[in-house]
Parts: sequence; C-alpha cells; structure tokens
Amino acid sequence: MGLRFPALLLSVAVALSDVSAGIPAPPDPPRLVNDFAGIFDSYQNAKLEEMLVAFDDSTSNQITVVTVNDLEGYGASEYATMIGLSWGVGSEKSDNGIVVLVKPKNAGGPGETAIQVGYGLEGAIPDAYAKRIIENVMIPCFREGDYFQGVYEACEQLKALASGEISEPRDDGGEEAAAFILMAFIIFLIIIVIIAGRHRKGGSGPGGRTGSFRNIYFPGPGPGHGGSWGGGGSGGFGGFGGGSFGGGGASGKW
Amino acid sequence: MKKGLLALLLAIAAVIVAWGTKTYNGLVKEEENVATAWAQVENVYQRRADLIPNLVATVKGYAEHESGTFESVTEARAKATSVTVDPSLLTPESIAEFQKAQGELSTALGRLMAIQENYPDLKASENFRELQAQLEGTENRISTERMKFNEASKAYNVKVRRFPGNIIAGIFNFSTKGYFQAAEGASAAPKVEF
Repeated sequence: MGLRFPALLLSVAVALSDVSAGIPAPPDPPRLVNDFAGIFDSYQNAKLEEMLVAFDDSTSNQITVVTVNDLEGYGASEYATMIGLSWGVGSEKSDNGIVVLVKPKNAGGPGETAIQVGYGLEGAIPDAYAKRIIENVMIPCFREGDYFQGVYEACEQLKALASGEISEPRDDGGEEAAAFILMAFIIFLIIIVIIAGRHRKGGSGPGGRTGSFRNIYFPGPGPGHGGSWGGGGSGGFGGFGGGSFGGGGASGKW
Repeated sequence: MKKGLLALLLAIAAVIVAWGTKTYNGLVKEEENVATAWAQVENVYQRRADLIPNLVATVKGYAEHESGTFESVTEARAKATSVTVDPSLLTPESIAEFQKAQGELSTALGRLMAIQENYPDLKASENFRELQAQLEGTENRISTERMKFNEASKAYNVKVRRFPGNIIAGIFNFSTKGYFQAAEGASAAPKVEF
C-alpha cells in the first residue's frame, strides 16, 4: 500500500489510454449502472442505481455494474480491471471501488462475469469470497436468464463485505452533517439559555422582545430550513473518484 | 556594454540551470515511479510463490502419484524466487531473465493445475477450489502490475530519450528501463482454465 504514489497512479492513468483500447469511455453524466448490453429494463436499472448511489453516499465505497455484449478479446477480469482503472472507480485515497462486469451469454460466446476489487478492499473481499459470490449467487441466476436478480444479490453481498472495511460517509452528507447540526443546535440552546437568563435578571419588559427573539431563532418550517442538510443525499451519483485496481477479484463463465 | 552582456550571459546561465534542475528532478521522480511499480510486480509474484506450498500440499493429498509434477513446481519456484532484480538496474536483460524464470514457474504451475482433471475428488475439494480462486486472482494481479510497470517504464523512457531532456539524462547517466514482453513468459504460458 505505502509503495504506491499518486504520481505513479497519475502517470499510469494517463498512459492507460493507449492500453485500454476497446474499453468504453467513462459515462457522462457519471452513472454507477452502465448497462451497455441492455439486459436490465428501466425499472431494474433505476433500482440498482439507487441502491449503489445510496451505498456510495453512506460508505464512500463505489460499486459499478457494467454489462457489455463483447469483451473485445480481453478476459473478463482483465476487462473489468481496465474499466476500474480507466474510470477511476472508488476514491483516490482509499482505492475502494468494485467493478461488477457481466457479459451475457450470446452468439459471441459463453456468458462471462467478473468482480474486480480495488486495492483498498482486497482485505475485505478476498478473491475466494468474490469467487463464491460469482459461483453461488450470480451464475445460478444467470443460467436462468435472471441477470438482474444475480447482480442485485451479488451487490448486496459485496456491500455487506465492503462496509465492514471502509465506511466513511461522503463529506457532503450523512453523519458529519448530522453531527454539525447537533452541535449547532446545542450552541444555539446555550445562547438561548444565556439570553433568557439575562432577561430574567434584567427584569425588563418581556412582552415585545421575547416575541422578536422567537421570530429570529425559530423561523419555522420555511424554505431556508431544509436546504442546509439536504445536500448530496438523494441528488444522484457524484462521479468516480480516481481509485486504483491491482487485479484482485475473481471471474467465472457459464 | 560589457556589463550588459555579462548580465545577459548570467541570465542565460540561470535559465539553463533552472531548466536542468527541473528536468533532473523530473527524471528522478519518474525513475522512482518505475522502481515503485517494480516493487509491486515483485510483490505479486511473491504472492504467487507463497501460494504454491499450500497448493502442492493440497494436490498431493489427492494425487500422490504425480510426484514428478510436484518436484518440477517446487524446483521452478525455488529458481523463480532466487531471481530478483535491483530496482535501480531494470535493464531489458535483467527483466527478461526475471520473466523467463517466472515463466517457467507458470508452465510448471499450469501442469500442476491440469492434474485436477484426472482427480474428481481434488477438483471438488473446497480447499482446492479456494486455492484455485486465489491463484487465479494472483495471476490477474500479476498481469495488472506488469501492465502498470510497463506504463511507468514507458513514461520514464520517453523522458530519457526525448530532446532536450536526453541531454540531462546523458550527463547524469539515466539509462532506459526494460519492459515485460507479452510474447513470452507468464502471459504466454499455458492458460490455467478454471
């Protein structure tokens, strides 16, 4: 881990553009579910995307699902690794991306699938675990032609494994914001108490003044209220973070 | 007049020194990247070597008659782990030698893994399947780190060779680094099919 420098990753990422010929360009706008093979319907697409975006928001781990009809001559693992590297799945700091690749069974050959895990999650998701998910969850569903169910369940299991290792909410939402609001509220209460105490001591006419305090500090459920902590939560996927991959994971055929 | 010329020469010298320093430091950084990428390559090959004793022991449990294969794997492993390359001397020759030793181990490993076809119990064993998944993942790591090394090496070589950086590279003796050749060694070894 400590051996890798950002500069190296950068030079690799730049140079990768020649190596990764045939790998699709990163989606614009960024999405976590990229069904190039068209094996999900729009409802399934949205459901998967929603689950993965929520997971990215709450733990910063990025799982991307990619389906293609042709692996362009690469092995499934290799193809998935190239996607992970050239798209930069996961954060640059934690390298916590996962690529779930599905190439459906079609005229071009057997079905192939791969789960590739970024450097930072190799401890949480050892190759043998990835292999087990492929063999016990994905391939049985894929054999029945139920691509969505296989991918969805695999993502559920990957989520459970990954969140044990790295779980830090995105900066713009989640716990950090909640903690901030709580702190602000406590400070606000303290101020109120101090002011209220002064007022009682001062014994000045409370009528009009208290009313004005109330107006200032309890603005009620106006539009200014929700904006401060709504950010990031449900606004969709913010983009890939430049994570790196070392080839860890597994693949399978059916 | 003379003073003006002196100032001009001084300014030119300053620019040259500044450029030289920047180029030199750039080369040092790129060379460091190559060494880092190499360390990763050796890591993943070592990871494979570490898997082998376990793998051999497991296969032995089901297929004791294949002693010739076990011996050749163990031998190839010993040979492969004895070949290391000093990261500051990553010449094409030293990389080729490293690649050859690792390639022989890949071939021997391919034969070891092929044994399972004759021993259904081995093929079905949970332990063996686990090791197989690990080996497969390790082979993927090897090809990924090799690719990254080649990219780092290429970025460095371009800096060493391209004018005018090659002047600084020549003065300070930065020599070009080698690459992994795709045609031979591990990637051309019999593919272990799972």
